[in-house]
Amino acid sequence: MVQVTEKWTNDRPGDAGYEDRLAAFEARVAEGDKVEPGDWMPRDYRDQLIRLIHVHANSEICGALPEGTWIPHAPSLKRKLALVAKVQDEVGHGQLLYRAAETLGKPREEMIDELISGKAKYSNVFHYPAETWADVCVIAWLIDAAAIVNQAMMAEGSYGPYARALKRICYEEAFHLTHGYDMCISMATGTPVQRAMLQDAVNRWWKPIMMFHGPSDKESKHTAQLMRWRIKLKTNDEQRQEFLRKYLPKMFNLGLKVPAEWNLRFDEKSKTWLYNEPDWEEFKTVVRGSGPVSAKRLETRRLAHEQGRWVREALSAAAAGKKVPLPPTANVG
Amino acid sequence: MDTQWPIFEVFHQASRGEPHVHVGAVHAPDGETAIMLAKEQYGRRQACVNMWVVPSGAIVATAYEDADLFEHGTDKSYREAFGYETTKRAKAVGDAGEI
Amino acid sequence: MTTMTAPSKLDAATKPAVIDLLYRLADDGLIIGHRNSEWTGIGPILEEDIAFSSMAQDKMGHALAFYRMLHELGEPDPERITFERGPEAFRCCSLVAMEFLSGSSGQGDLCNNPVRDELLYRGDWCGSLVRQFLFAEADAVRMAALENSAYEPLAHLARKLRGEIKYHTLHGRLLMEKLGEATPESGERLQSTLTLLWPHALGIFEPTRFESALAEAKICPPESELCDQWRSEVTPIIAKSGLKIPARAMPHYGGRAGKHGPELAALLEAMQRVYMLSPGATW
Repeated sequence: MVQVTEKWTNDRPGDAGYEDRLAAFEARVAEGDKVEPGDWMPRDYRDQLIRLIHVHANSEICGALPEGTWIPHAPSLKRKLALVAKVQDEVGHGQLLYRAAETLGKPREEMIDELISGKAKYSNVFHYPAETWADVCVIAWLIDAAAIVNQAMMAEGSYGPYARALKRICYEEAFHLTHGYDMCISMATGTPVQRAMLQDAVNRWWKPIMMFHGPSDKESKHTAQLMRWRIKLKTNDEQRQEFLRKYLPKMFNLGLKVPAEWNLRFDEKSKTWLYNEPDWEEFKTVVRGSGPVSAKRLETRRLAHEQGRWVREALSAAAAGKKVPLPPTANVG
Repeated sequence: MDTQWPIFEVFHQASRGEPHVHVGAVHAPDGETAIMLAKEQYGRRQACVNMWVVPSGAIVATAYEDADLFEHGTDKSYREAFGYETTKRAKAVGDAGEI
Repeated sequence: MTTMTAPSKLDAATKPAVIDLLYRLADDGLIIGHRNSEWTGIGPILEEDIAFSSMAQDKMGHALAFYRMLHELGEPDPERITFERGPEAFRCCSLVAMEFLSGSSGQGDLCNNPVRDELLYRGDWCGSLVRQFLFAEADAVRMAALENSAYEPLAHLARKLRGEIKYHTLHGRLLMEKLGEATPESGERLQSTLTLLWPHALGIFEPTRFESALAEAKICPPESELCDQWRSEVTPIIAKSGLKIPARAMPHYGGRAGKHGPELAALLEAMQRVYMLSPGATW
C-alpha cells in the first residue's frame, strides 16, 4: 500500500551484498513466498515486471477498442449490456494493472504516455481490426480463452500486487469467456448468414490467435529468468498447447474449421498439436507497431487522451481549490 | 503530465457487522471524487453497504524487513486456550463437561 | 389513499396511457444508455470511463425492465421493440438522442466505424456529461413520484431503481460542481453546453394526450408538476456550479409524439444494423 519506495539500492549485480540478498530472495521465491512492494528485489526483477505488467495493462486498454466499436451495433439487448460490461471490465483491468505496476515505481501517466507514443507495446491481437459482429464473438471466446490460460498461470506468480490484480481479473474473465462462448454457440447453430460470418471471422483471426502466446521460448531471452523468479510459470509453447488442447475440440464440435494452411494435427505420441510454424518475424513487426491497425489504435488512444485533457485539468484545478467564475459576457441567451 | 493524481486506497464493508476490507486503489483529485469513482471500479459486482477511501499517503506502515517484529521468540501458548491440558485434568477430578 | 392497480385492472382510459408512459420511460433509457455506451473505452479518465459505462448499463437495464412490462401488456417482446421499430415509433425526448460534434468532419478512419471516428475526432464529452446530469435529475424526480404510482408494477420497479438513480445524481452533481468553475475552459464548455441543452431538457416533460388520464388515476403526476420539481432540484446545483440557466428558453417538444430529428434515425440504423442481417435470429 505504501507508494513507490525509496530503497532501490544495492539491487544490481556487483553491488555490495547483492549476491547474498539475491540468494535469499531466490530461495524465498522458490518456496512460493510472495514479494511485496517495499521488499528488497533485484533491479532486474523490478524492471522485467514493470515491462510485463505495463504491456499487460496496455493490452487491456487497447483491447477495449475493437470491441468497443461494436457496442452500438450489438444485436440483442442482452448482448448489448454484456458487451458494455465486458469492455468496461477491460478498462477496469487496465486500471488495476497500471496500479500494480505503479507499486514498482513507475507513474501511471508515464505508462499511458509511453503507450500513446508507441514506446511501450501491447498484445499482438489488438493490432488487428474487428470487421464484423462475428469478430466480437471470436475475440470474446477464443482470445479471452487464450488470455485466461496466460493469466491463470500468472496469477500464481511471485509479485503480490500483480497476483492479486490477476485473481480479480481472472474472475471477471470467466464471465467474458462464458459470454464469448455463448455468442459463438448462437452463431454456429444459427442462420446460414451467422454461421458464415463466424467461420469468416475464425479464418481471419486464427493467425493472431496462434501467435498470441508468443514465440517458442527458445527464442526468448527473458524466459529463463522470468521462470526462475516465478514471474512466469509456464513457457509460451506450454500455454499455447493448453489452449489448443482445450479449445480446438470445442471449435470442431461447433463445426468450425481452422484454415488449412496451418496443417494442424494432433500427435498421439507427444499428445501435442502440431502445426506449420508461423512467421515470427511478422509477429515482431506487428508488436513493434506495424500491424494492420497499430497506428490507428495509438491515434485513437492519443485522441481520446487529448480530448479528455480539459476534464482532467479541471478536476485538478478544482481539487487545488481554484475557482474561475465565468466572465459576464458568457452566452446565456 | 497533467494529472498524476494522488492515490486513494479503497475499503469495502460487505454487510453491516463485517469489517472493512481493502479491495484496491484509485487515482483521484480528492476524496469525494475517489468515492464516486471507486464505487464503480470496485463496487459494481461485490456486495457492499459502506465504502472508505483513504489517501495512500495517510497510511503509516511497517516495513517488510521488520516482519520479524511480529514473530514470537519464545513459546507464548500460555495465552491461548490450546496451550492448556485443562480438559484432561478437569475430567480427572470428576468434571467431564465443557470448560 | 391510492389503491394499487394490477395490470389486469387497467381500463380503456388507463391502459393506453400506461403503455405510452412505459414507452417514454423505456425509450429514454435505451437511447441515453446507448449514447453513453458509445464512450466506453475512450472516455477522459480511466475510472470515469468505468462509471459512465455503469450508468449506461443501468439505463439500458431500466429500459429492458420497462419493455418487459410493455410486453406483459400486449406489446411485442423487448427485442422486437428495440430492433424493429423505426424512429417515428419511439417516444423518447430529443435530449437523449443528441450528438455533440463540433468542427469539420471526415478526418480519417481509425475504428472502421464512422460513428466512433466522429466521436473521437469531434465528439464533446461535455455534452454527454451535462446531458447525463440534467436527465438523471429528471429521472430521480419522476421515479420518486412513481414509487407512489397507483399502477403497482411501476411503483414496485421505481422503488427497486432508487439506488442506481441515486448514484447517477451523485455523479452528475459532483462533476457539475467541480467542473463548472474549475478552469476557463471547463466553465465555458459547461455553460455553452447547458445553454444548448436546456430547451431539450425541458422537453423531457413534454405533455402528452394521456396527461389527465394518468393524473386522475394517480398513475403519474402531470408533467408540469414534475418539471417544476426538477427545476427546483437543478437550479441550486447549476448556481453552485457557477453557471446560468438561459433566460428565454422554449422547450423543445415533439419527441413524445414520435417527431424526431435525423440523429435518432441514424442512431437506430446503427443499433439495428447487425440484427437486421438475420432478423429474429438468436445472437
